[in-house]
Amino acid sequence: MQMRLLELDQITAAYGKVAALDGLSFHIDEGEIVALLGANGAGKSTTLRVISGLLKPRVGTVRLLGHTISGHSPESIFRLGVAHVPERRRVFPGLTVRENIILGGANRPGSTRVELQSDTERMFGIFPELRSFENALGWMLSGGQQQMVAIARGLMSRPKILLLDEPSLGLGPLVVQQVYKVIADIRRNGTTVLLVEQNANMALSVADRGYVLETGHLVMQGKPDELWDNEDVRAAYLGGRANQA
Amino acid sequence: MSDRASRTASNALSAGKVFGAGLYIAVAAATIGFVTLTPFPAYTLNLLMQASTYAIAVLGLTIVLGYSGQINLAQAAFFGIGAYGVALGTTTFGLPFWVALLTGVAAASMAGAVLGLMSLRLGGHYLAMVTISFQTILSLVLTNWIDFTKGPDGISGIGRPTQFAKSGPYLGLCIAGLYLVGYLVWHLRRTRLGRAMQATRDNELAAGVVGVNTYLTKVTAFTLSALLGGLGGGLFAGGFSYISPDQFSFSESVVFLTMALLGGSRFPFGTVFGTGLLIMLPEWLRFLKTIYLAVYGGAVILIMVFMPDGIMGFAVVIWRKIRPIKPLATGDIPPLTLGHPGGREEQPATLKISGLVKHFGGVKAVDEVDMQVERNSVHALIGPNGSGKTSLLNVLSGIYRPTAGRIDFDGENITHLKPYQRAGLGLGRTFQNIRLFTDMNVLDNVKIGAERPGNAIGGGAALERHALAALEFVGLANRAFEAVGSMSYGHQRLVEIARALAGNPKLLLLDEPGAGLNHAEKDGLVLLLERLKGHGLTIVIVDHDMHLVERVADRITVLNFGRHIADGAPADVLRNPDVVAAYLGKVDANAAPRA
Amino acid sequence: MGTALQLLFTGLGIGSIYALVALGFVLIYRATNVVNFAQGDFAMLGAFSMTVLTINLGMHYWLSILITITAMAIFGALFNLGVYYPLRNRSFLPVIISTIGASILLENGVLAAYGPQPQSLPSVFESQGFSIGTVFFDSQYVVILVVTVIMVAFQYLLFERTLLGKKMQATSQDKEMASMLGIPVALMIMITFIYSSILGGLAGVLVAPILFVSVGMGSSIALKAFAASIIGGFGDVTGAVVGGLALGVVETFGAAYISVPYKDAFGFLVLLVFLLFRPQGIFGERIAEKA
Repeated sequence: MQMRLLELDQITAAYGKVAALDGLSFHIDEGEIVALLGANGAGKSTTLRVISGLLKPRVGTVRLLGHTISGHSPESIFRLGVAHVPERRRVFPGLTVRENIILGGANRPGSTRVELQSDTERMFGIFPELRSFENALGWMLSGGQQQMVAIARGLMSRPKILLLDEPSLGLGPLVVQQVYKVIADIRRNGTTVLLVEQNANMALSVADRGYVLETGHLVMQGKPDELWDNEDVRAAYLGGRANQA
Repeated sequence: MSDRASRTASNALSAGKVFGAGLYIAVAAATIGFVTLTPFPAYTLNLLMQASTYAIAVLGLTIVLGYSGQINLAQAAFFGIGAYGVALGTTTFGLPFWVALLTGVAAASMAGAVLGLMSLRLGGHYLAMVTISFQTILSLVLTNWIDFTKGPDGISGIGRPTQFAKSGPYLGLCIAGLYLVGYLVWHLRRTRLGRAMQATRDNELAAGVVGVNTYLTKVTAFTLSALLGGLGGGLFAGGFSYISPDQFSFSESVVFLTMALLGGSRFPFGTVFGTGLLIMLPEWLRFLKTIYLAVYGGAVILIMVFMPDGIMGFAVVIWRKIRPIKPLATGDIPPLTLGHPGGREEQPATLKISGLVKHFGGVKAVDEVDMQVERNSVHALIGPNGSGKTSLLNVLSGIYRPTAGRIDFDGENITHLKPYQRAGLGLGRTFQNIRLFTDMNVLDNVKIGAERPGNAIGGGAALERHALAALEFVGLANRAFEAVGSMSYGHQRLVEIARALAGNPKLLLLDEPGAGLNHAEKDGLVLLLERLKGHGLTIVIVDHDMHLVERVADRITVLNFGRHIADGAPADVLRNPDVVAAYLGKVDANAAPRA
Repeated sequence: MGTALQLLFTGLGIGSIYALVALGFVLIYRATNVVNFAQGDFAMLGAFSMTVLTINLGMHYWLSILITITAMAIFGALFNLGVYYPLRNRSFLPVIISTIGASILLENGVLAAYGPQPQSLPSVFESQGFSIGTVFFDSQYVVILVVTVIMVAFQYLLFERTLLGKKMQATSQDKEMASMLGIPVALMIMITFIYSSILGGLAGVLVAPILFVSVGMGSSIALKAFAASIIGGFGDVTGAVVGGLALGVVETFGAAYISVPYKDAFGFLVLLVFLLFRPQGIFGERIAEKA
């Protein structure tokens, strides 16, 4: 039996008194793009934070290739091959585009100066527009440019799995299209991606599978067409019954 | 009005109050008598003199630091102004003691007021710097303006009031002053101003929105602190009859601060205790003489790490564990009065937003939004993440200034009013991340809501009844004296709503009231909102939970990318294809979603 | 004209000391959001260490400097562990107060160990200095300026040209994001404290032959360095240096042309003016705008 790349097993997590996740279990196999959908407050970002170690679960375990990673520090989970591109990008505002990207790979175990350079060049190859402002400081960039930088930074560590948190957030429709083109390319190159999105349509257009969260629980899972046609998915976002578009 | 609950509760309280007051006066009288009549050796006399006058000054820090959360590193400077006021007044100017004291105290208060007015718009370390600068400059002036202050030689032969010329009576005077000031500072906590101070300390943003003029409150706290510093200094000068500039330096300010912190800056008894302890301690630790100041410094670090609320704070925590607060027996509480009968009936819309714009740098968070909220309706504001809902709400509350556009509230243009002014007109609000005043109990939190400007409630018992009524409305009256921090998230949410209701708002803004609530709690919330609707309250609710919104809203406005894309009855809006597309993504008839 | 240049030179010299201490200050603030009131005492410790080593133990000057720097590095690490680390998640008030407590502890610890007599460190140079025209360049001041320039250059190279420096900058700008990229945040903060402590100690070593070495020297330098960093723009590295130099110059000119006893007041008056009219200082706090 093929070992799962990532497994969440009965994860319960909370912020202080507020319960965010309740008995959440799912898995991701190598090479997949899996979409995690749900309305705001459903627990999608929390799930990513638990995986990357920013939030320790009260109950349950997270396993990467069979090895338990929950309870470890974000630094060590990063070194095991988990790259988290957070909500709202969080590009370092006082550092240049190039410096941001390099830092993405600087702490990869065993990285050498030569590899960093060549990986950085590779990123500029994937995101050619970035080269034209490689010396611009983070705060000067537009939302879309920041998103590209953040994704490039995430890829620099040659991760086993890339966690993408709401890449379309705050971006205009055209820019979102561009971002998703990149995400589709990433997948084609074999990187495993866990994609959290509120924008279900875009997410399902690139994903192999999807999970739908509602108030910290898994309420549905399946292939994109199964989910898309499902009334309950729309209800999870917009409530009510009759929401034919 | 006779209601049993008020009677049982306040009867018990009154009896307790009378007993407490009597006890306090008795102890005070006994102490004063003892001190006046006992012939202490000079050394002990000096110690007690120092302790009592220092304690008065440190009580000033209780007000500014403990109650209001503002850092004041110039208390020794104010102490010095008072001291020099008495010293120069009685020697150079030949004034009677009381006149000199009054002058000194007035000068210190004015200095405090000016400093406060100048610097309280800045916070944190900036304020610390301003107070340190003032302290440093004053020390330099005292040392170097020799013509006026006599410089490093100091001033001797300082006068005392004729009736209290002897040491015994003078010490009695100081102790009497301490008891009086101690009582006043203790009482301040229970007044409207005291609550405003604590609210400003605990959550300045929420305090403003709930109706507290935080700037004025902070300036007042600063002025009172300087006043008490000056008073202590004036009495100090009379007590020791000789003063010199080095007694009023930055190090002394640090000493005052440590005394406040050790005992517990929020508790008057604690600060007095801390002062006494730190003055007596060197005596008991004589053997540590050379390193006791070092121990002092180490102690400050340890206090901050392990007992940030000082000895009293620690004691209170232990006490609460031994005797947890019991639920209040409330009996009949009169129903909460809500609604504004006889309002401006010609205005169908309570709230009218026209062309509202808010830019942050290059980001258009709110992009020309129009919205009208009808009187007595529940109006929901929804939109995907990043659509500008929160920004819009913050502009409505006055937390952000709009880039352009206009907001009319019941016919009045409120576009440029400060948050507390909007509260004064009847605009109430709750926050997505609950913003309660964490170091006050439930009842006090609600009282602050009731005390918003323009809400005619009256004080004392009437205020308490009104606050209890608001709590009863949300079903939490029996937990009035509990600490808010110990309550569940759902209950905290209800306390926040009660706080807003206590202000009898015309319009209530609810920012994601369902966030963090479980199913049962959300059902309770829906019922609560339906009851509020029945009371003639206008409500604007922002939330993500569509089931919730559907159940309570009369009308929905949808935002996306800062613009409003739909507005109307729930059934229509939630089926509107633009709205569905905004949430779920563009629905392309051709796209069979798969790669 | 000659006098003005002379004053300028002296002012820059003393300003450099403020700049070094302010620099250490700002680095700690950027990395941890803590205002370290004990920063000046790092200078005091450096000066006392030199005094004890060269005068009491009769060691060679350069060896003393080496030992002092090493000791300050260790001290910085201990300071981080004892004062900052236990309070790292608290609000700013307990932390400020804690650093004030640390300041008291250090000053009185040294006082208890060494006694209250101010010391003066003899100059180590054979020649007192040299003259160009009417301006006399005191050796020690020249050394202060040279060392400051070297340190500022070193700082620039470290932060702008090395990967470590970039990691430290990233940690100051967004601690959580840095940890998500595998940057060992606690280590970065430790390095910041160690480096800051060395900067402070170095300032003390440099200024010891000029001022009296006394227990209180740290506090007065700290207050001025703090004021300087606000004038320069709180949180800005360039601002700390420029503010420090500017303060030194203002003070020196003020003492010469206006009044000597009130020398210390000038800096604070300038600070008050800035706080009233331009609290963000000369260089302001960059990267502001939060939605």
